[in-house]
Amino acid sequence: MAGRPVEDRTQPLSSGAVNLLFAAPALVLFGCFVLLPVSSAFFYAFTHWDGYTAPRWAGFANFERAFTDTTHLMSYVHVVLYILGTLVFEVALGLGVAVLLNSERRGFSLLRGFYFSPMVLSMSAAGVLWAFVLDYRSGLLNSLLKALGAGDLAQPWLSQPSTALVAIMVVSGWKFSGFYMVIFFAALRRIPSSIYEAAILDGAGPFRRFFSITLPLLRQNVMVAMLLAITGGFAGFDLFFTMTNGGPFGATEVPATWIMKTAFDKNQLSYGVALTVVLAVVVMAISLVYLRFSERLNVHRY
Amino acid sequence: MFTATERPRTAGEWVQFAVAMLLVAAMFYPTVWMVLSAFKNNREIFRTPFALPSVWRWENFAEAWKLGNLGTLYLNSLFVTSAAVTLCVGCATAAAFAFARLEFPGRRVAYRVMLLGLLLPPPTVAIPLFTQLRDMGLLNTPWALILPGAAWSLSLTVFLMRSYFNTTRTDMEEAAKIDGANTFQIFWWISVPMVWPAVLTMIVLNTINIWNELLFALLFIVDEDKRTLPVGLIRFYGYHNTDYSLVFAALTITTIPILLLYFILQRHVIAGLTATTMD
Repeated sequence: MAGRPVEDRTQPLSSGAVNLLFAAPALVLFGCFVLLPVSSAFFYAFTHWDGYTAPRWAGFANFERAFTDTTHLMSYVHVVLYILGTLVFEVALGLGVAVLLNSERRGFSLLRGFYFSPMVLSMSAAGVLWAFVLDYRSGLLNSLLKALGAGDLAQPWLSQPSTALVAIMVVSGWKFSGFYMVIFFAALRRIPSSIYEAAILDGAGPFRRFFSITLPLLRQNVMVAMLLAITGGFAGFDLFFTMTNGGPFGATEVPATWIMKTAFDKNQLSYGVALTVVLAVVVMAISLVYLRFSERLNVHRY
Repeated sequence: MFTATERPRTAGEWVQFAVAMLLVAAMFYPTVWMVLSAFKNNREIFRTPFALPSVWRWENFAEAWKLGNLGTLYLNSLFVTSAAVTLCVGCATAAAFAFARLEFPGRRVAYRVMLLGLLLPPPTVAIPLFTQLRDMGLLNTPWALILPGAAWSLSLTVFLMRSYFNTTRTDMEEAAKIDGANTFQIFWWISVPMVWPAVLTMIVLNTINIWNELLFALLFIVDEDKRTLPVGLIRFYGYHNTDYSLVFAALTITTIPILLLYFILQRHVIAGLTATTMD
């Protein structure tokens, strides 16, 4: 049994080069608009190039500059902070809400539907809406604070460096925690209720049941969710562009917004391309290391 | 189901329900506030943010619709999304069929290469893609969004469709082969109807992603009248950001139909958006 390779599948329906025709349209499309620009990115990153005239070879000049560009380096600090925030506001909150909404009672299915609904909105709509919620003068949040008699706590949330990044994390949580809630909810439904009944008989309280049963059984799902949050976070652009576009004073500058600014606003195309190559390598390296690491963890499953 | 609802709720279950209600109400409140504010004038939005509008100003919507040229934006988004989704799901279904059921030279390599797209974030190609589309003469045309939009959705769609093919039985296809059907006939008449539920899920998933796509739409379209909704909305906000009621009206017009559609197709939408993590 052990060591025998898993059988791929039974006989193919048909074999021969003519079958390539079925995959050809997808491969051509993918080749033209994914592989070709990715490979030209890896080429242009090593050149001086303005997008119009012929590129001149530059060696590692763009990369040397990338590692001394303070804004660029800070953008990684911001994005890592943002990802840590999304692990709390998206993944952890999603898990907590999945447990809270895990009931067959009437009304819960509707509540889950509502909780998930921000997921279908575009990032730009969510960003514009929340720019109003967080507005200093007439925003919903500050109005609420005033109504509760805590008007001194009102802040210009998005226009001061100390709160802007946290504000974006919260909006991100609002938009995406429903997604993680649904994933965890689906996983929770698969845990047999007999395990919980046995634990209750043994006198385990709700917290004990969560940490000793639910969390270990959902480890696989938590790992996948964290991977999605991390890789998605590094490439994050839409919310940052819509709400602050890197401001105030560069406090929310992340790799994607900085790349678009250098390439298109400052007209330094090849330098922008080099920054995208750095981003692609970082994201791919993290995914591969993470997948290897989580595979090792999976060996000790229940 | 019935037994669960008939048994009276325990105190703990009532607490759970109350906490859940409060949480979901807080989550959904910004959306309600957006719709109510869309009916107010700026003075009211500022003075009485929590109250119902004193007069329901439907004319806000007409004005936002006209000023923002929202009808054109809707049509552009509809065209781009339907073309890109058709292209992507069509190509991906055929490719997934080939990768799961057929044998041909380079099959394994081709599949691995396609999966590379799962690891690549789209911002990494935005700049070379921009110059490439310009050189192809596609910049500032819907095709600048349709072709890259479809191509960047392929990896995930092929991956998920192939996994679905692998969970289905091959008896029907083999029976058709014995009856003398050729590979294309088997694909079209047997396999596609068989995996149709997955095709629908992929249509929903890609429709949402492409409808909401921002980065490519921002970079590859220059003319105002060719823009899609997400970009149009940001521009509208940029021009009218002091005219709150107008922006709220535009936001409401662009989000409420999507939300209604979501509540109607809820089950499919959730299946589509969480397909990424199916194990």
